[in-house]
Amino acid sequence: MTTPRPNPSRFPGGRSAMSRRQLLARAGALGAAGVSLPALLAACGSDGGSESSGSTPGTSGGTTPGTSGGGGDMELFFENWPAYIDPTEDGATGTVDRFIEATGIDMRYTEAFNDNSEYFAKIQPVLGRGETIDPDIFAPTSWMVGRLITLGWLDKLPIDQVPNAANLRPDLQKPAWDPTGEYSLPWQTGFAGLCYNIDVTGREITTVDDLFDPEFAGKVGANYEMRDTIGLIMLSMGIDTSTLTTFEEAAPAFDRLQEAKDSGQIRRFHGNDYFDDLTNGNLAITIGWSGDIAALARDNPSVRFTFPETGAMSWADSMIMPKGAVNRDAAAKWMDFVYDPVQAAQITAWVGYVSPVAGVQEEVEKLDPELAGDPLIFPDDATLANTSTFALLPEDVEAQYDAAFSAISGA
Amino acid sequence: MTDSVTSTGVKRPELIGLGALVGAGALLTAVGTRLLTGPIAIVALTLVLASVVLLIVVAVSGTPESRRKIAPYGLLKPGMLWLALFYLAPLFTLLRLSLSTLPSRFAVEAEFDWNFDNYLDAFTDFGPQFERAFTYAAIATILTIVIGYPLAYVIAFRGGKYRSLLLGLVIIPFFTSFLIRTIAWRSILSDQGAVLSFVDGIGARWLLEVVGIMDSGRFMNTPAAVVFGLTYNFLPFMVLPIYVSLEKIDISLVDAAKDLYSTSTSAFAKIVIPLSIPGIFAGTLLTFIPAAGDFINAAYLGSPNTTMIGNSIQDQFLNQNNIPLASAMSFVLMFIITVFVLIYSKFFGTEELA
Repeated sequence: MTTPRPNPSRFPGGRSAMSRRQLLARAGALGAAGVSLPALLAACGSDGGSESSGSTPGTSGGTTPGTSGGGGDMELFFENWPAYIDPTEDGATGTVDRFIEATGIDMRYTEAFNDNSEYFAKIQPVLGRGETIDPDIFAPTSWMVGRLITLGWLDKLPIDQVPNAANLRPDLQKPAWDPTGEYSLPWQTGFAGLCYNIDVTGREITTVDDLFDPEFAGKVGANYEMRDTIGLIMLSMGIDTSTLTTFEEAAPAFDRLQEAKDSGQIRRFHGNDYFDDLTNGNLAITIGWSGDIAALARDNPSVRFTFPETGAMSWADSMIMPKGAVNRDAAAKWMDFVYDPVQAAQITAWVGYVSPVAGVQEEVEKLDPELAGDPLIFPDDATLANTSTFALLPEDVEAQYDAAFSAISGA
Repeated sequence: MTDSVTSTGVKRPELIGLGALVGAGALLTAVGTRLLTGPIAIVALTLVLASVVLLIVVAVSGTPESRRKIAPYGLLKPGMLWLALFYLAPLFTLLRLSLSTLPSRFAVEAEFDWNFDNYLDAFTDFGPQFERAFTYAAIATILTIVIGYPLAYVIAFRGGKYRSLLLGLVIIPFFTSFLIRTIAWRSILSDQGAVLSFVDGIGARWLLEVVGIMDSGRFMNTPAAVVFGLTYNFLPFMVLPIYVSLEKIDISLVDAAKDLYSTSTSAFAKIVIPLSIPGIFAGTLLTFIPAAGDFINAAYLGSPNTTMIGNSIQDQFLNQNNIPLASAMSFVLMFIITVFVLIYSKFFGTEELA
């Protein structure tokens, strides 16, 4: 499967027309819809499948000799989501290559992380047996980070060697999925809220209750990401999502979703592939991600994102290190490098997601003032304060949530 | 050749051949299912290799008579070993998993404990999905016959010099990933898309609603859309075998029937259809079996109320991490399909395939 590279030069400030998630949708790599099964089966019995095929032309390092810094012959391997970092192209030096230049570390950067569950299935037989996988760093979504921490499959990050970690946005410090903040550093973050096509709805959407408005029967979508869909509904019912410990607390939200599914209110559940349905009118309103809409609303201003009045869900794809990862010093240098607002601004300007690094807005201002004013990428403090995280659930409780959700989504 | 002993003293070479074949297959399966591990596995693999060597030695050093007797087993061996490692071993692993219990949700190894509850759960929890899978697959199969037979007939008997071109046109969609083609239908058949606009233009929407193809003003994300997707995606698998069987028919048989005062219709019914049954049979198998296990069409064209068993198995494997249950569901699916195929072949008879 070839992933088309977006061409940032078409847009002011070098921004990509496609966000990471949308790119996935385009490539047909729709994790939730599950085209990844063959990949999973192929990976079974391999050594963790870490000889990834998704290396990025132009960013995979290792060829540029160190020019400065004391990297010596240090190595580093970061496996990340596709289209999630600025590549070296059109005369601009990508972050990986700038890092290699600055430190002399032989860095390998691949884009083989396509789906949390699929990747988990790949690493489970390896990490579960107490062996380690090849990447020193990878960046799953928050809930998966929490699961891996609970399973004890991660090493603590060398935070004491990362002075710039102090730049971490205050609302992301010691998050629900990593209560001590020792295991993860967010890579990029975003919000789940309501996405709608105003041509179809005919009005502004402001609340989660609009999902259940009979006026939109059969034109409502829901997200396969359980925590985003159920989380938003829970917030709208006044249930705190960050302190959940049992299934019973969430049961009313599941009931509400079940009712909507049974009555035909919900047309389909989707992963990354909802944008086409929004633009062609199949869906009037659904649950989606701010980053997608920030990038794509430029092509289609009818499609909008809103932070519901009752609050949006906040997520983060976070850098973590598997147990037994060897290149800890190099990893610390890398994390320090990308937590420098100057460097982080380059990444933000290209990927268009919400940066976890404080002070990035000022730096992006210098690169692309229009982007720096985008409320979906730099939400104000009031909006940030009205976002919630999803609690880290105990293993058996999480199983209950997952089973209940998949019963509703039809699988 | 009485019971005179061969030059190497082997009396029943075919038994050696059979033993080497079955023994090696069993050993390789055992290694593949990880019943034998570590040093024992290495011993077993050495034995497999030795059996191959033995077969060659016996065959080469033997008399022409013993060579002739041993040849079939020698020729079967590569295929047998391949099947043992890549078919039997995974199948046994799956069977074992389906009777196992996971000590904890994310445990690496399931414990084998004759846990038949997995099968109970597979039947009780996923009844609607099984039902939909077989209903949709059956309707789609019938539709592919209805659409594919005339198509194959025209290409075979009226195609003339354009036969290859027309066949090529049937196959050409395969040049694009079927995933992409399935996703494309979502735009084409969308609520405000070209097709529904046309349907509205000629005022036929009410008709589609009455026959149940459209549901609450839409075509996408309905059962009909899933069946449509299955029909579309599997049509070539029906057309090609039917074409092959039609193409072999000697058209002079029809002429002969007409000479004997048969009408075109009865000539078609009594000659062409019976002779093309092997094609329909093969096409049905090629369509129904994968369609029943398909999860792409339901995922992309369906709604939460149209999921098929393939979606459920995939969800149990990937998202619920319940690999034993997923294995049991796979076996139930295989079992039901096997029963269907056996019943079906009882009526159409595989002997017709000759």
